[in-house]
Amino acid sequence: MQLLEMTEVRAGYGPTQVLHGVSLAIADGEIVSLLGANGAGKTTTLRTICGGVRWAGSIKLLGRSLHRMSTEDIVRAGVAHVPEGRGILTNLTVDENLRLGDHLRRDRDQVRKDYGRVFEYFPVLRERQHLSASTLSGGEQQMLALGRALLMRPRLMLLDEPSLGLAPLVVKSIFEIIRDINRTDRVGVLLVEQNARIAMDLSTHSYVLEVGRVAVTGLSSELKNDDAVRRSYLGY
Amino acid sequence: MQEFMQLVLSGIASGGIFASLALALVLIYNAMGLVNFAQGEMAMFATFIAYALIEHGMSYWIALPLTLAIAFAGGVVIQRLVIRPVERAPVLTLVIITLGLATLFNGLAGFLFGYVPRSFPSPFSVQTVNILGAFMSYQDLGVIAVSSVVLLLVYLLLQRTTIGLSMRAAAHNPEASRLLGVRVSWMLALGWGLASLVGALSGIMVAPVLLLEPNMMQTIIIYAFAAAVLGGIESPLGAVVGGLIVGVTVNLAGAYLVGGDLQLAVAFLIIVVVLIVKPNGLFGRPSVRRV
Repeated sequence: MQLLEMTEVRAGYGPTQVLHGVSLAIADGEIVSLLGANGAGKTTTLRTICGGVRWAGSIKLLGRSLHRMSTEDIVRAGVAHVPEGRGILTNLTVDENLRLGDHLRRDRDQVRKDYGRVFEYFPVLRERQHLSASTLSGGEQQMLALGRALLMRPRLMLLDEPSLGLAPLVVKSIFEIIRDINRTDRVGVLLVEQNARIAMDLSTHSYVLEVGRVAVTGLSSELKNDDAVRRSYLGY
Repeated sequence: MQEFMQLVLSGIASGGIFASLALALVLIYNAMGLVNFAQGEMAMFATFIAYALIEHGMSYWIALPLTLAIAFAGGVVIQRLVIRPVERAPVLTLVIITLGLATLFNGLAGFLFGYVPRSFPSPFSVQTVNILGAFMSYQDLGVIAVSSVVLLLVYLLLQRTTIGLSMRAAAHNPEASRLLGVRVSWMLALGWGLASLVGALSGIMVAPVLLLEPNMMQTIIIYAFAAAVLGGIESPLGAVVGGLIVGVTVNLAGAYLVGGDLQLAVAFLIIVVVLIVKPNGLFGRPSVRRV
């Protein structure tokens, strides 16, 4: 059984249809990258999975249909979405943001260990624990969003452009941490990225979207070296 | 000097009342981006419920928490039945709806209890006690004590519990909160319940002083607006501090500057001055908007 399976999903905002039949699958513990130009429907795909957009077709999480489920319930079923803009609550402290990651968990001992891991990955979050999250830089907010997603102990993480606006060195360490979380917790990752090369290095499968349809899909290792795909869709 | 101290202390007592109602306004403002114009009338109606309970022989100290519980439940129900269906409506719709609620509660109170002012029982005697050379009534001290306890409990709920954390998150950024599994709609309903509760508290505290009748809260709500604006309309702590400042200022201005008849004008003056000089109030954060 797939972790996530989307079949012929159509979705949009009001009269504007954005996804025209997208099908994709993520195996348990797999990293999949979702690539494509601006406006291809990458962000909409993530929002659709989380119930933020009206959709038709079929979306299944571990075999269970997500049809008509509210965002809250989809999240509670094991999906952590780090959205565009990172979804940081800037009226709260860093620590309070993290607590919203684990507020549904009952395994307090394991939660404590997970905090240890978050602070090991991102020592700056420990230092800034009691400060308002609004004082964090863009990179630190990305770390907070990822740390919080880890504390949710999801089955599937949806990451929307984690590299956006970050310095190259920070990007490198963030992607290493994503890989580490993926391996340690066996969490599946659907990764939306502008930076196609780094995303394909990380993922096993890639999907390239073009105006709301899957244009190309395959093993990342093969697509990466396919000149035609690179030139037509990925622009490098 | 003694008179001055006395005015300050009784100002703090009325400030506690303004603070409760101002806090109610702030809680709703945070949840829906708009003050609830029916807050005062809801508080008045809850006070009539307390009155009816006490008239039927219930002890004050049972009627008070029971009324607060009823007010809480009422606030939740109003949010679910009246506000939630129009959650995404334009601001003007919400303004009209809360004004409609205000008219409804005012008329309902008149219909059920009449417009003759009634004296509301107080568990505190009007006798005075000497504090720091000033004379204070047990009534004022009782109001300060009860308000402090309830406001402290609300503070602890919001700041120290997971449910309070979820409420603050939901009010600030519903979208991001949903993605963290927070049941946003219910958190907003709890916010209405809590606001209704602290509002009811202000009504019950002020009723022994003002006499209970359907229009009782209409001046108090102006002071509460002034307090909320002064504190920064988004800040619960600001509402409490603003309430105390407004209470003391109005009392002093009434005695030394403008006389009792113009006290309400002082409240308006505070609103106008704050909005011109420091629109974000004492504790509000400057609003930054990306353009």
